[in-house]
Amino acid sequence: MLKTLLMRTQHRSRLWAALLALCIGTTLLLLSVMIWWNFRELLYGKNQNDTLGSTFLIIGKRVTEQNMGVANATVFQQADIDSLKQAPQVQDVGVIASNHFPVYAMMGGKLPLATDLPLECVPDKFIDNMPDDWKWEPGSRTLPIIISSQFLDIYNYVFAPSQGLPQLSESSVKSIALNLKVGEGDSAEVFSAHVVGFSDRIGSVLAPQSFIDYGNKVHGKAGAATAPSQLIIKAKDPSDTKFADYLRHHDYATNSQNLRWSKIRAIVEVVTSATGILALLLMGIGTLVFILFIELTIARAQHSLTLLLQVGYSPHYLSRFMIQRFLPMVFGTVAFSMIITIIAQAVTSSIVKSQGLVLPLVPGWPIWAALVISTAILTMLVTRSISGAIKKH
Amino acid sequence: MKLSLQGVIPLPLREKVSVAKSGMWNSSVSFNKGEYIFVQAPSGTGKTTLIHILYGLRNDYTGEVKWQDKALTTTDNEALATLRTKNISVIFQDMRLFPELTAWENVDIKRRLTNTVTEAQANEWLDRLGLQAKKNSIGATLSYGEQQRVAIVRALTQPFEWLLMDEPFSHLDHANTKKAIDLILEIVKIHNAGILLADLDENNYFPYTQTVIL
Repeated sequence: MLKTLLMRTQHRSRLWAALLALCIGTTLLLLSVMIWWNFRELLYGKNQNDTLGSTFLIIGKRVTEQNMGVANATVFQQADIDSLKQAPQVQDVGVIASNHFPVYAMMGGKLPLATDLPLECVPDKFIDNMPDDWKWEPGSRTLPIIISSQFLDIYNYVFAPSQGLPQLSESSVKSIALNLKVGEGDSAEVFSAHVVGFSDRIGSVLAPQSFIDYGNKVHGKAGAATAPSQLIIKAKDPSDTKFADYLRHHDYATNSQNLRWSKIRAIVEVVTSATGILALLLMGIGTLVFILFIELTIARAQHSLTLLLQVGYSPHYLSRFMIQRFLPMVFGTVAFSMIITIIAQAVTSSIVKSQGLVLPLVPGWPIWAALVISTAILTMLVTRSISGAIKKH
Repeated sequence: MKLSLQGVIPLPLREKVSVAKSGMWNSSVSFNKGEYIFVQAPSGTGKTTLIHILYGLRNDYTGEVKWQDKALTTTDNEALATLRTKNISVIFQDMRLFPELTAWENVDIKRRLTNTVTEAQANEWLDRLGLQAKKNSIGATLSYGEQQRVAIVRALTQPFEWLLMDEPFSHLDHANTKKAIDLILEIVKIHNAGILLADLDENNYFPYTQTVIL
């Protein structure tokens, strides 16, 4: 009977419209939080998305007319490395160590090749596309190496066509064995090197740190410089002017193209923040539409409400009745919005996975927190609106 | 539950009351539970206003109305609702039924508040007042006399210490009036309740203990 008296003035179409407005607002809010969080996960999360989260730069000391030919003028001392670790935007610094022993690469068959080969190594955490079999132990004659993907491109698109040689795919390169003669004279050793990966980040031939250390120790030339001439830096936002000033002040050189990505990232961050503000606004509008619908329903039932109060129904009882009718609608709408968000997260996760990136399959804690907070706020607003409207009678 | 009025003057009747001698307005009167009070008043002197003030529907007056020494003006909405469901029942002059509910539903919506009267009992009362064929009729389709009888039964479906009535039989014929009076008296005696009836002319509906000229 109370439903007949108080809720009969509801037009179903208006109710659905109000719920739809609320649903759209809530869904957009949750999705914007999801987008913002996913973006942060990709950039700064722990899921090895370093290609997006930071910029990696190779820096070296600029060779000038003044320091040209001066021994150790362009190497990094420990003090330089320590200072760089404290520089603005620098998250990590890795030493690029090179071989101080002769390495001669030979390959026969249809691809005759013989050349001196410079080798370098970096700490494993700086290697993109880390292969599973990236290790070498003294005594092993098999050596895994990583080459720059640029080398393969230069071979396939410049060298091979000019020499009438066949182009090679990544998998075919990995199947080729390269003989490396390390050292000189009677103490020389021969290793069978296999390409196990390609790097988009480091433009040289990499060998495991243990091999370089062994080679330098056993076959290294006496008096060869041991301080590194290049460092690899992991920087959060190298477009920061303070970082650029630091490099300039210390006369360090780097590839400025790498700085562009961080600017793009900064723009994306602004866009996601703006999306969040817009979603908040839409959520506010959706909530307002729903609240207005509730107040309209109560206003239309004014006569019945007045009579009910006169007959002896308490305002608290009537408020509770209305709240029990409307709150489930709110909860249902919010739950539906969360389901959409969960599905969106799962879809996003699978899409980025195909791009080699990692995102969790379920929404992160900020989305759940947004769900709880928005539900609490909606509950409070609906309850206060109903109680206030009934009190007026 | 004692009812007392102290210097009550409805604001719309301020000027009238100041020049007229009134048994209720601007007076200090009190009535005890179990008394049967008849308030006689010509048209326009505030019969309905009195009932509304005593029931807490209006607060545009000076002075004080107290139910068991608690002033109505200091009674909050929740306490007022309790007063109306457990202590004071009313039969309005304009009936105030829900036009979209049936006769039975109009009674039941009040009955359910306290559940002190069974469905069977309420149905029997409706039958006694000749409404057996009208129980499922929508309120808006009932005649004034039928509406008034429904309002009477509705008022009786709760516990009360005072029954306020504002011209309760104005639309009833003699036979139905008698039936209604018998029913009301029967229930009032069960509750040992008091009656306050406001009407235009003198009458002998109830064995009044006091008559007050408004």
